[in-house]
Amino acid sequence: MSATPPAKRILVVEDEDNIAIALDYLMMREGYEQKRIATGAGAVDLIRQMRPDLVLLDVMLPEVSGYEICQQVRLDPGLAQVKILMMTARGSAMERRKGLAMGADGFISKPFELKALRTEVRRILAGDAGPEVGSQPADPAAAPHV
Amino acid sequence: MSDQPQSEGLAQARRERLGLRLRVMLFFALIAAGIVAALVVGGWLALARLPVEQGAVAGPALVQAAILSGFAALGVVVGVWYLFDANVARAIERLSAAIRARALSDIDADFGREAAGARYLGDLAPAAIAATRALASTRNALAESVQRETTRLAAEKSRLETLLADVPVAVLLCSADHQLAFYNWQAADILGSGEGPGLKRDLLDYLREGPIVHAYQRLAATGDGDSASDLICATVDGGKVLAGRMRVLRRRVADQDPGYVLTLRDVTAELAAQEGRDSLLAEVFEHVRRPAANLQTVIDVLAEYEPTGEVPAAIGAAMLNEVQDLTRAITDLGRRYDQLQAAWRPLAQIRSEDLLDSLSARFGAEALGLTCEGPELILRGDGFQMVALVAGLGDLVASEGLARAFTLRLIEEDGPGALLRLEWEGAALAVSRLERWLDQPLGAQTGDLTGRMILRIHATEVWPETLAPAQPAVPGRHALTLPIPNARRAGRRPAPIRRDVVYDFDLLSKSRSAEVEKTRLEDLTFVVFDTETTGLSPERDELVQIAAVRVVNCRRVMAEVLDTLIDPGRPIPPGSTDVHGITDSMVRGAPGPAEAGARFHRFARGAVLVAHNAPFDLAFLRRHEEAMGLRFDHPVLDTVLLSAVVFGQLEEHSLDALTQRLGITIPEEARHTALGDTVATAEAFLRLVPMLRARGLETFGDILAEVRRHGRLLKDANPQ
Repeated sequence: MSATPPAKRILVVEDEDNIAIALDYLMMREGYEQKRIATGAGAVDLIRQMRPDLVLLDVMLPEVSGYEICQQVRLDPGLAQVKILMMTARGSAMERRKGLAMGADGFISKPFELKALRTEVRRILAGDAGPEVGSQPADPAAAPHV
Repeated sequence: MSDQPQSEGLAQARRERLGLRLRVMLFFALIAAGIVAALVVGGWLALARLPVEQGAVAGPALVQAAILSGFAALGVVVGVWYLFDANVARAIERLSAAIRARALSDIDADFGREAAGARYLGDLAPAAIAATRALASTRNALAESVQRETTRLAAEKSRLETLLADVPVAVLLCSADHQLAFYNWQAADILGSGEGPGLKRDLLDYLREGPIVHAYQRLAATGDGDSASDLICATVDGGKVLAGRMRVLRRRVADQDPGYVLTLRDVTAELAAQEGRDSLLAEVFEHVRRPAANLQTVIDVLAEYEPTGEVPAAIGAAMLNEVQDLTRAITDLGRRYDQLQAAWRPLAQIRSEDLLDSLSARFGAEALGLTCEGPELILRGDGFQMVALVAGLGDLVASEGLARAFTLRLIEEDGPGALLRLEWEGAALAVSRLERWLDQPLGAQTGDLTGRMILRIHATEVWPETLAPAQPAVPGRHALTLPIPNARRAGRRPAPIRRDVVYDFDLLSKSRSAEVEKTRLEDLTFVVFDTETTGLSPERDELVQIAAVRVVNCRRVMAEVLDTLIDPGRPIPPGSTDVHGITDSMVRGAPGPAEAGARFHRFARGAVLVAHNAPFDLAFLRRHEEAMGLRFDHPVLDTVLLSAVVFGQLEEHSLDALTQRLGITIPEEARHTALGDTVATAEAFLRLVPMLRARGLETFGDILAEVRRHGRLLKDANPQ
């Protein structure tokens, strides 16, 4: 009898309690091992310590923005395996593009349907490139170093 | 009484015809003849009184004495005449010629030689010298004063033209009957759908009549030169909505209605955006109110019945449905809001080459290195703001100590946009630092403008990126990426836009003339044109180029030119190409004969057509009348026939011969180009007009009647 693979670890970086509760519950029901942090200030340290498989990262956080956390994670070669799914209520196409260009693996706009979130989380954890990453610049040298 | 001046005039003419010296000579000849006659009569009387015998003796002696006396007297008369002629008559003639020359032309030198020759004329020569010196001095002072004033006025005119050319709104000046007497390039831009406006054209050909006429009547009725009226009007095709202000000029002539100044601004995009925003706002309420209201009811029911444990499953489903509706509505409305934000701002087209040049200069001024790479694109944006933003980003990276040398890469994207990427080697710029900088004013030159505002205006964002290293040994390449949402490949660099003002204020006092035939030439508008073709047969050959210029108030309007190649839809024979230099590849993509002809027809609306050998050019155009749905029934003047009227049928009337005769030089490179020949024809026409007027041919009808006498030379091209 083979051992069950360890559950994927997910860190939720979200300052709004209501949605954080819902996300915690959802991730638990999906079988992930989840943890939540409500501010951006300690998020990068926690990521370094916890090494999650996926960070559900809200963009609009007090003190340190989601973009800043994303940049710091991507600049740390030790965190190269950490996937990032950004969430924001400012969901313009340009914001989405900015998030993906800065190294996020996915970008989802609030409000979102649970089904869409679930699908996106599964896709990223499975290592699929997804349609968003296709919007890379034409110049091959321009590809973000992810 | 009236006969007296006429007889004086005839006497004056006779005196001038004979000349002073001749008249003096005749005077002395008369004296000599009188002396001879007196001697003859005296001798004859003396002989008649003597008895016959004494007469026979004394007669020969008396005759001899009379002859000798006669010769002596004649000698004295001739001698006196010679002295008088040399010292008086000739001196007077020289002196008067010298005075006349100094009076009529700008000769300032004294006439010493003439004065020396007039030494027997007493004080006349010194007096004449004093008078001409005074005249020259006055004339020089006047000329200097005129020159000074002319220079000052020319400088003022140039400054005013520059000012009016650069004001950001369209400015038009019209006569009371809406004929254009002034417009700047912004007005040409706003009114020009295809062809721009033209002097003496009717403003109501471009703008819908109602608001303009109504505002003018209202303002003219008040008679107050300071009052103005705001108005909203539209172009005749309804394509543009314009916001404007009209001010009526002060009345200068009692029985003439005053003209008016109209300033216009294109508000089409603003109105459309406003309409879009209003409609979006209405939809926000419509789409959000219903699910929000339903949700409220469902939640109330849930709150009331949940403690009892009696909540049916349908209530949960209903809540889910409403939340899903709300989510979809907000997502959709947010997307449309973003689109609206990106679309409404009226941004200019800028060439990437110009943008990168400006940035190189700005980086250089800050002692920062910049290498630019990328294709040449046309970007939609505010060049000044983009330069300020990217230069500011470079300063930011430098001030953080990250780099002093940059590469600015312009990358064309698959869609309609492009990326502007400022790259450097070294450490990354923290996004938090970038975000803080974007919220600060960019600098003293840009006032309160922040980077964030510029990003919002251009519907874009900027972010730091880490790039794959070019070589593994290179530690890190970083960039700030700025998408340009709207960009396209640049074609051939167009000719610089002429930012002219076009005007002729004399037009304000000219009223519209109904009948062309009775209209004086200076009151008509002419369109002088020429064509180039694939051959010489209007039935079998086709147009390849047409050019036209407008002549208003007997002056060529430099800014009003039509010049277009035409795709004849068939190969151009090499023989024709040798003449005009137009090849098949040059006309590829050009409009066809019918389209170009229609464009020319619009350009020539309301004008008299002028061409050299007009039947030839018109035959090509008239062949396409059916396809155009238009008729070339303009009045026509032909410079071949005008030349025949002025110089006679026996002269050569080719364009070369005519221009040479009139002292007009056609540059060799312009000869046999439609525009070169058109300009030469226009110049020739403008020089023929005063010659025609000198022959008493004042109106179009006068000239038409005269040229029809030369029908043997060339067919009259006017509609019969």
